[in-house]
Amino acid sequence: MGRLRTLVQTLVAFGTNAYLLFPFGGSLIYQGSLKAVCHPGLNCYSCPGALLSCPVGAFQNFLASIRFRAPGAIPHPGVIVVGYLGFIGTMVGRLPCGWLCPFGFIQDLLHKIPVRKFSLWEPLRWVKYGVLAVLVVILPLWLVDSSGLGSPWFCKLLCPAGTLEGALPLILLKPSLWATLGFYFWNKVTILTLLLILIIFISRPFCRMLCPLGAFYSLFTRMTLVHLEFIEGNCVECGACAHKCPTGVKPAQEFDSPECIMCLKCLDACQFRALQFGIRRPLAPEKKRRVSPP
Amino acid sequence: MPKKAVWLIIIFTLLFILGINSGELKFIQNLGNTICLSCIGVG
Repeated sequence: MGRLRTLVQTLVAFGTNAYLLFPFGGSLIYQGSLKAVCHPGLNCYSCPGALLSCPVGAFQNFLASIRFRAPGAIPHPGVIVVGYLGFIGTMVGRLPCGWLCPFGFIQDLLHKIPVRKFSLWEPLRWVKYGVLAVLVVILPLWLVDSSGLGSPWFCKLLCPAGTLEGALPLILLKPSLWATLGFYFWNKVTILTLLLILIIFISRPFCRMLCPLGAFYSLFTRMTLVHLEFIEGNCVECGACAHKCPTGVKPAQEFDSPECIMCLKCLDACQFRALQFGIRRPLAPEKKRRVSPP
Repeated sequence: MPKKAVWLIIIFTLLFILGINSGELKFIQNLGNTICLSCIGVG
């Protein structure tokens, strides 16, 4: 399963960033009709190779333009992005984080560097919900200029995928952009640098702490159509599943955890078939509490 | 199949269709065709 996941991650990362004309006289970024489709993971649409749009960037821009006052301007609340992401979230929860997100793939690769590994302080998991609420929803809606136009504050202040995949390649390809860079660029470069160092020592820190897309998908983990089923009778409490989990979930104790990115490493690790991946079955009320006490 | 998931899938599908019919697809395409200055950190 691990090899299959790496193959899927590689194909998705390269397949959705396959615009290769930018160095050969084509436009700097892809401008075709595929850009109307959002990537299910975090992938900057200003990446010179990107074929798809970023769902977080698109949603922020919808919200940022709701209060725009211009003749003929039609306010769009971004229901297409909510519908698209909500549909994916309800079907498979955070599976796109584990299998389809290019920035998640970069984190997986960097974390393979063989140094001593550390675990994440668990309360930091909650920060991503603050990022989703404040930087993605509240600030783009609230902080607007005189014409009523807001900004995508997550992209502007934090997004490391935008810095790595969009900003750095673009300023290399178009040196004239250097003159326009200021505080926001250096702030984001600092965040990206710190994060890249952190990724080597801690597994998936961005997904666990800061990713608003992961936070949104995680809202659905307790009601997804497919899920990891824990079969209590088969579990010998060896802890192999928890040891392998890249997001620090203990599958035998945290059933349907919002942190689970469905990478299925725990499924591979379990020798006793205590975990099964499949379509969620409606449970009888007396069977709903399946969480074993720690 | 859990009822809650089925209802959510129906609701989100309707939202998606509503978005397509209100021209939001065009908005995303226009957005994606321009370089995102916020992503670069201009300002």
